[in-house]
Amino acid sequence: MRVEITYKFIMGFIFVVASIVILNLVVPMLGIAEVWQQLVSTGGAILVGLVLGSLFSKAFTGNIKILNAAAERISQGDLSQTIELKESTFPDETADLADSLNLVNENLKELVGRVRDASVKVSDSAQGLSATSQEMTASSHELSNTVEQISRGAEVQAETVEKSSRLIKEMAINTELVASSSKKVADAVDITAQTAQGGGEKSQQTMQRMMQILQDVERSGEQVVNFGSQLGKIGKIVEVINGIAQKTNLLALNATIEAARAGEYGRGFAVVAEEIRKLADSTTDSAEEITGLISQVQDEGQNVEVSLRNNIQEMDEGRKAINETNKAFEEIIETAVNTQTKAKSIAELSQKQIEGANKMVDAIEEISQVVSDNAAATEEGSAATEEQSAAMSEMAQSAQELATYAETLAENVKRFHLGNDFPVV
Amino acid sequence: MELLLVFRLSDEWFGLEVDDLQEIVESPELNFVPRAPDWILGAINFHGNIVPVLDLSSFMELGDNAYGERAVVLPVGQKALALGVTAIHRIVPLDPDLMLPCQREEQKGLHIRMLYNYDGKMINMLDLPSLLSSLETL
Repeated sequence: MRVEITYKFIMGFIFVVASIVILNLVVPMLGIAEVWQQLVSTGGAILVGLVLGSLFSKAFTGNIKILNAAAERISQGDLSQTIELKESTFPDETADLADSLNLVNENLKELVGRVRDASVKVSDSAQGLSATSQEMTASSHELSNTVEQISRGAEVQAETVEKSSRLIKEMAINTELVASSSKKVADAVDITAQTAQGGGEKSQQTMQRMMQILQDVERSGEQVVNFGSQLGKIGKIVEVINGIAQKTNLLALNATIEAARAGEYGRGFAVVAEEIRKLADSTTDSAEEITGLISQVQDEGQNVEVSLRNNIQEMDEGRKAINETNKAFEEIIETAVNTQTKAKSIAELSQKQIEGANKMVDAIEEISQVVSDNAAATEEGSAATEEQSAAMSEMAQSAQELATYAETLAENVKRFHLGNDFPVV
Repeated sequence: MELLLVFRLSDEWFGLEVDDLQEIVESPELNFVPRAPDWILGAINFHGNIVPVLDLSSFMELGDNAYGERAVVLPVGQKALALGVTAIHRIVPLDPDLMLPCQREEQKGLHIRMLYNYDGKMINMLDLPSLLSSLETL
């Protein structure tokens, strides 16, 4: 049965007052002198008051001491014990206080346990975090290195791309040179073809002239032959003249003979015959001269004929040569036309190549753009990874600090003894 | 003044007095004479008479095939004969002072009477009677 301290005090007072009253009643009955009666009653009342007061205060202060000690313990950090008050028939506010303190103890114990667990966990986590952040720092360092490598690679790539671009531009320039050269070739071949055409025409003209000359030479040959035959005719005539002269000579001889036979009468006739003979002789001489001249002329004519024949032969060879020249010119023209076609196709192809090269240049410029963007991005990435790395370092430091704090917290919490239920970690 | 006909037999110069001959003819074509001796070249128609032509060069052993289409016809009164010669030179006046004798024995068969020095050229004077008589004996 719960009785409040107030009521206990009241009850104590009532008991004291009652005992004094009872004593006052009892004592006269005992037969004690009256003088003593007052004294005994007073003494008994004081005794009863002392006994009851000491009992009350003992019961009262004992619980208070226990509570005080428990509070002292709690304040010391010892949460291992529960407050147990002496069994009392009439529990009072101290029991409530003990319960409250026990509740406080319990709560505090739980709290401290939780704090300890949490601090351990935080410490663990902080250490884990620290480790992780260190790993991450390492990773970010690696990443940074990698990014730097990528950046360097991107620079190399940019250089390579630039080089490629330059090379392709050079190639395009060279291809343009090829195109212009092939155009020049085509022009030159055109000129060659025209020249060859002209040459062919000229050789044909030469051929025609040769033919004319050949005809002239043939005509000359014929004329020479005619001349020879006419000379032959003249020779025959001269032969006839010669024959006549010889016959005349013979006649003159016979006339001389006749004149001699006629004696004196024939003397004049003999003179005439002699004159005739002389004429015939000179005719014969002239005829011989003519014959000699004719044979000389004929010889020369034959020489002329031979040389004309040689000329004709040579001209035939010349004609063959001109024919071959003509053929050669035709072949040159054909070759030139082929070459022209090829040169034109080369020019077209190189034009296409130039276009392709220009496209390649554009593409490479785009690539270059992308590469420089990449380079910038990797640089940014590098900066970012460095920042990240720094942040990670900071984070690691913070985690370290956190771990320290957690340890400090754990250290602080350690002074609370929680008993066997909560072993210290 | 005597005249001398100078003619050639092969390479030798011969002479014959104009009085001893009738005419000189040109006869490129000769008529065939049957059964004639080798030294008869053929025959010519001389003013309607058949006259055989003697190959004088061959007959006098001066060289064969030396007939030059000229024949000297002997006078009609004598034996009908023409002397085939290589060539007729000309008729020259005959100066008896320039006649030179020749060794008859050495000239046997050649019918050369004398030598005549004409203008530095030695001309064999044909011994016609000797020739004709040698022809007769054959």
